[in-house]
Amino acid sequence: MALLSVEDVVVRFGGLRALSETNLQVEEGRVTGLIGPNGAGKTTCFNVVTGLQEPTSGRVRFDGEDITDKSPFRRARMGIARTFQKLEAFSSLSARDNVLVAAEQRRAWDRSINPKAVTQEILEKVGITEVADYMVGTLPTGTARLVELARALAAGPRALLLDEPSSGLNEEETEEMAKLLRVLVKDGLAVLLVEHDMSFVMGICEYIYVLDFGKIIATGTPAEVQADAAVQAAYLGSAAEVVA
Amino acid sequence: MRLKFKPSTLVAIIAVAVGVLYIINANRGVAPYSVANFGTVIVVGAALGGIYAISAGGLVVTYATTGIFNFAHGAIGCFLAFSYWELHVNRGWPTLLALAAVLLVEAPLLGLLLDKVLMRRLRNAPLVVQLMVTVGLMLTFMGISTTLWKPITPRTTPAFFQGHGVKIGDVTATGHRITTVLVALVIAVLLRVLLYRTRLGISMRAVVDNRNLAGLTGARPSVVSGASWALGCMTAGVAGILIAPETGMVVENLTLVIVIAFAAAAIAQLKSIPMAFVGGMVIGLAKAFTSVFVSFGTDWNYAQEAIPAVILFIAVLFLPQARLETGSVRLTKRTERLTTPKEAFLGACVMVGLVSAWANGWIPWFSGTNFGERTEIWLGRGASFLVFGLIMLSLVPLIGWAGQVSFANFAIAGIGAILFTHFGGQNGSPIGIVLVMLVCAPLGAIVALPALRLKGLYLALATMAFAEFTDKVIVRHPQMLDPSATGRLYKPMKLLGFQMSSDPADRKAFIIFLVIAFAVLFFLLEVLRHTRWARRWIAMSDSPAASATIGVNLITTKVAVFALSGAMAGFAGCMYGLSSGSFRVDSFPLFLGLPLVLLLAVQGVRFPVAAFMGAIGLASFPALFEVLGRPSFLTSVELIGPGIAAIVMVYRPEGSVFYAGRDLAGLLPWRRDAREEKALAVAKERAQDITKDEIGELGLSRPFTIEKVAQLDRALNIADEMLERPTIGMTLDDVEEVTGGAPVG
Ligand SMILES: Nc1ncnc2c1ncn2[C@@H]1O[C@H](COP(=O)(O)OP(=O)(O)O)[C@@H](O)[C@H]1O
Ligand SMILES: [Mg+2]
Repeated sequence: MALLSVEDVVVRFGGLRALSETNLQVEEGRVTGLIGPNGAGKTTCFNVVTGLQEPTSGRVRFDGEDITDKSPFRRARMGIARTFQKLEAFSSLSARDNVLVAAEQRRAWDRSINPKAVTQEILEKVGITEVADYMVGTLPTGTARLVELARALAAGPRALLLDEPSSGLNEEETEEMAKLLRVLVKDGLAVLLVEHDMSFVMGICEYIYVLDFGKIIATGTPAEVQADAAVQAAYLGSAAEVVA
Repeated sequence: MRLKFKPSTLVAIIAVAVGVLYIINANRGVAPYSVANFGTVIVVGAALGGIYAISAGGLVVTYATTGIFNFAHGAIGCFLAFSYWELHVNRGWPTLLALAAVLLVEAPLLGLLLDKVLMRRLRNAPLVVQLMVTVGLMLTFMGISTTLWKPITPRTTPAFFQGHGVKIGDVTATGHRITTVLVALVIAVLLRVLLYRTRLGISMRAVVDNRNLAGLTGARPSVVSGASWALGCMTAGVAGILIAPETGMVVENLTLVIVIAFAAAAIAQLKSIPMAFVGGMVIGLAKAFTSVFVSFGTDWNYAQEAIPAVILFIAVLFLPQARLETGSVRLTKRTERLTTPKEAFLGACVMVGLVSAWANGWIPWFSGTNFGERTEIWLGRGASFLVFGLIMLSLVPLIGWAGQVSFANFAIAGIGAILFTHFGGQNGSPIGIVLVMLVCAPLGAIVALPALRLKGLYLALATMAFAEFTDKVIVRHPQMLDPSATGRLYKPMKLLGFQMSSDPADRKAFIIFLVIAFAVLFFLLEVLRHTRWARRWIAMSDSPAASATIGVNLITTKVAVFALSGAMAGFAGCMYGLSSGSFRVDSFPLFLGLPLVLLLAVQGVRFPVAAFMGAIGLASFPALFEVLGRPSFLTSVELIGPGIAAIVMVYRPEGSVFYAGRDLAGLLPWRRDAREEKALAVAKERAQDITKDEIGELGLSRPFTIEKVAQLDRALNIADEMLERPTIGMTLDDVEEVTGGAPVG
């Protein structure tokens, strides 16, 4: 059974259906992709999973438990962490403190860890030790995104949701991130990835969901999805983006 | 409107209803429930309600169209009402001409000016800065009105259509009151039509969410926000002019109408014009009903005036839980290095040294003035400035770190001061201080509790209402403060052989005790700043959504900081009691507490040392007075100064301690880090200025639901794709490469 599953979720904003009966499953030990044109509902889906957006109907299950009515912090304590498409780093804390806050918080439910050591380890893993003592507000956007990733990892997640993590990163850094994600999933982490950089997505995801106007229009392996006619139609309007 | 009641909501509604009925029944006055009396209630209530509705409508319009909640709304109305008095009564202009001059010329011009100079820059500022600037504006307008129209002269404005009226049964509805109700209705309908049916109105609402979106409607954003403020000032003026005959031409009374308008606006969830109208009417009728049918008795003499505050609390209780918004994190431009405990200890020693040196007469400056010679008066003042400094210190973790803007701490200190008379202060026992702190800590949390699930703005409103409630009801109850008690309420407190009290002989020891207490608390706060508690508070303030998604329980985290702040305010209150010696029932007005918050913010609300600078700032006015030989212009400067200082925060949002600290540290040869960080911040600032327009508008949240806006949404989706992210990401990176120096991980 999947670690995280979204079942028949509907989200309405007034007349707009941002998600309509969306279903998806995220398994441990692999990267699952969620792609689709702008405004398709990907971020909304993340918000529903992490509890920031109450769904109009439908359920969210994590580790077999129905978490639809749980508040965001309880979901985090169960092991769901995320990054944000629009930066949500703690901009007046240093990069190190951003990560440390999450590690210290994790001690509330996991007594075995040493927050300072965990922080140092994660800063190294993500490769931001050099800027660790700068305030995040003064860092370039791409670097601040890495801080967000480090912070999410410090919460000790079992499922990690990444919302366009490569935007603001250059090619080399994107490659680094792909490497890091491979290591993480090898250790059993479940990753759900929203991303516009198609070579990144196709290179790392084992399974992909394609969302358009709130509906899943295709699912499958990267090869299957790329061959899908509906997907090509959905992306036709923003072909430039796929190339970029 | 969809009404969905959870069982808990239903229980709460019933509980509130039963409570209200019980209070009405227990305080039943002599007036029978007759048709005539109800007639009076409706006539009086509707007229009052009309004014509140106009005021609330104006608040809601500016908030819905600019995203800024204008605390100065009442003070602007007051200023315009005085302008009307000047033209109409003092200079004898005909009614219509004076009205036109004030409402159609002065008010819109004032609105445009405010928009151009302040509000437009405030749009993307953090809530703390928005609040400080508009509250500062409120104090400024109060100061200007008091300076231009000295309160010594009694003034009245004539009611409209005097001598006319309609007799309905036994009740006469005066011409003024009928006018009020009609004007309120017309304004509500006009505002609603303007916002929902006209092109300008739709652009106005769109501006709040997205400037580019507004651009799509063809309107220039600057025109739209100018129009919003002009409109806001006009409605403020109408309300001010209409209410002046009811409250009298008193600056405080006219300004305090704002607290009532807050309550009506909260009922409208800050967005619905019709509900603002309903809210205004509910409050007007409730006030009229209680004044006719309810007699609160001598113990609760002023309860009547606290009705709006109570209604605000109830409204806040029933508001739906706020979503955790994302996408509002601002990339701050500042950099900072934390003060180390060693530096903090040195700082604490300097504070103690400076103040004790002054109190002992070791500083020879200003000799020949009362200030320099440390007369009894000056030693007394010194003590109270330190007490105010303690209150400011209590706000640093709350506002500065956790980002919770509370205006309640002065009221909590007031309650603490009075409780201290019951808990040992009257015997000179210091144990009472601990008891007071134990009461004030949960008090701070309880005051905040209803507003914690809501947007930060509601917390500011609710705490302001609590300050008003404390002033009007709590401290005026004879069990709290016996109004007939004269003389000292406190015995001198004995500690290590020293006596501390407001007695001239004890003042020096007391000042030294105060500054030591201040320095200890300052040092402890600086140490606390390095702990996980402070880190978590700051994280929560920077991004509540991200905090929640790493497992932070926002409610308990907030409650903890409110409790800490409440305990500190309680301690300050005990000291306030000791330094004042006695209080009157009107010693704790809302307007005395507000400047403290502003002064702290101006100095830099995130830094404990700002509280000390704030205390010095408070002292500087009367000190200048002495040193310059009591020039009269300083009186108005003292009235207007704190407000102006707060307004300047638009341009210097971090507070002077921050800028001074950054620039001075860079001068020290061994602080290379300070120079580096400043260079980084400046580079980043430049990069942001260049790409601001593009970056700021990405990512959309559009809560509007009606047809027209749905069309706009569709239009926007296209634009959204044209503005695709990669181009913008590249712009930012390019800029950073050009400016250089920015480290990349
Ligand atoms: N808070 C909100 N209120 C109204 N509409 C929203 C809100 N958040 C998102 N939307 C709309 O929902 C749709 C899906 O948005 P989103 O999930 O951000 O898409 P994606 O992340 O796939 O680009 C968009 O049309 C967006 O405008
Ligand atoms: Mg998105």
